Amino acid sequence: MNELQIGGLILLVTLVVLFSGLPIAWGLTLVAAGFLVAFNGVGSLANIPLVMIDELASFALLTIPLFILLGAAIGSTNAGRDIYESLHRWLDRVPGGLVIANILACGLFSAISGSSPATAAAIGKAGVPEMIQRGIPVRLATGSVCAGGTLGILIPPSITMILYGIATETSIGRLFLAGVIPGIMLVLMFAIYAWVASLITGPTGTAAARALAARRYSMKEKFEGLGRVSPFIMIVIMIGYAMYGGIATPSEVAAISAALAMALVVVIYKARTKESQWRIFRETVRESTMILLIIAAAAAFSYMMSLLYVTQTAAQWLVDLGLNRWVLMLAINFFLLIAGMFLPPVAIILMVMPILTPVLEANNFDLIWFAVMLTINMEIGLITPPVGLNLYVLKGVVPSVSIKDILIGSMPFVLLMMLSMVILAFVPDLALWLPNQMMGAAI
Amino acid sequence: MEQYVRGMSRVCDAMALMAAVFLAVAAVVICWMVLYRTLGYSTSWELELSVFLMVCSLFLASPYTLKTKGHVGVDLLSVYLPPSAARALVGLTLVVGLAATLFLGTLGLEFTMDSFMKGERTESVWAPYKWPLYATMPIGLFMTSAQYVAEIMVFFRPELQEQPA
Repeated sequence: MNELQIGGLILLVTLVVLFSGLPIAWGLTLVAAGFLVAFNGVGSLANIPLVMIDELASFALLTIPLFILLGAAIGSTNAGRDIYESLHRWLDRVPGGLVIANILACGLFSAISGSSPATAAAIGKAGVPEMIQRGIPVRLATGSVCAGGTLGILIPPSITMILYGIATETSIGRLFLAGVIPGIMLVLMFAIYAWVASLITGPTGTAAARALAARRYSMKEKFEGLGRVSPFIMIVIMIGYAMYGGIATPSEVAAISAALAMALVVVIYKARTKESQWRIFRETVRESTMILLIIAAAAAFSYMMSLLYVTQTAAQWLVDLGLNRWVLMLAINFFLLIAGMFLPPVAIILMVMPILTPVLEANNFDLIWFAVMLTINMEIGLITPPVGLNLYVLKGVVPSVSIKDILIGSMPFVLLMMLSMVILAFVPDLALWLPNQMMGAAI
Repeated sequence: MEQYVRGMSRVCDAMALMAAVFLAVAAVVICWMVLYRTLGYSTSWELELSVFLMVCSLFLASPYTLKTKGHVGVDLLSVYLPPSAARALVGLTLVVGLAATLFLGTLGLEFTMDSFMKGERTESVWAPYKWPLYATMPIGLFMTSAQYVAEIMVFFRPELQEQPA
């Protein structure tokens, strides 16, 4: 068997093992161990623990549990409601103002949390019932938060970007900055869609719902709301200042902001009982362990692929195809789109990037720009079946709404994400300008 | 059987609590490191200790993650199978999960023993022994195996499932 045939066999076996429902971390490790024994002998198994622990023992990886702690701390409070409520007060005269407020709140929450499901849950748990109560069509209400939640992995801090940075050895700070303008662009595109959709639909729902929706806020009330959001804006500013002012590395910023968020949650939201703090940490260690064990397993998987020379051969094969670079980019994105529908971004990035990195470099694609394309692509996977995590998060938040309605409501946003990828392909500076301005041009 | 499932549940909670404490200490150590460095002093053990604590934390929390269905899997095949076959597949994934964690735990144990015998230390100024870090891998994974046994018991006798508080 040549390396490409072994690669094909690995792909087939991996898909069967992963789709069986076995946890991804164990599945990847078993596939790695099985192929190592079959093609390289039992002796190479001894390296698996070393490869896994070496991958984990990285200061950069500490950003993941610490940013999860930050998101879990804020997510455990009513902060999500406070954020969208204060934004809504300023948008009370705009058609679809509440939907837009929810989308903006998702964007703002994304700047605190690096996880999409966490963002969708935090904003959705109060935002969606409120929108439905005020007569906003169910599909628009759920679709906007489902899609808005995906911004969690694009707007920094982003767990996806951290992993991409580790997998491709690109600067995490630069990657974070690259996500800012495309993130804002997507927020605006989503908001414009919500505005147009609300204009077309007009006021809906019962008389009570319309009366509730017609409520106007005084300037005093507007500024009061702003006061409640200010601590979060302060954390966002602090994260940006510490990271790009050269004061601290991403992991250090993650630790400081997590500690700050915990203090904020205890002082402002009065989470002073052991149970409420335990809930935050319980959620944090659970999610961190899931992600970090997948990372360790993916390292073992990549080790096997590299040792059997499959990574190098597959990359060379892709380069040798001699495809037009944009046809190649389209093919890569199509593959990622399909993969994203079935697998979580963490696993995809760590399994695929070792193969794609040399191919992208050979075709003169900027790795920072590609990170943004890939992240938006992964965002689509989060709201498309069968494994669209955000769909299920929203279903959990509003059990009365069917998955089908959430999915149909999300589809216009999926199209907007695809449009944003096309725009990014034509205007790569949307991703590259900010990192180049703030950190100098990449070497 | 019931006592085992309940006992494992307590053990998982206790290990998760320990993992949470480790993570919290890691965050505090990093905050201290930034402060100390800002004051103009050089740091030595902080960075390494925080990484060690994170790795320990993740292995210790693995049984709890299993207990709370936190280890993500993609159960796509079961959608296309008749109910009895889908249930058999769930049972099979539990047994394979048990085998995987036992296998990885054994590899981790050999690795830890090897490091202990050689007296391996890291190459930093602080230079701690490596084996205590490595040891959390077999401990966490063997305890995950023990939790898998509890999951298999619950699979055959669903009434043993603890109701969330």
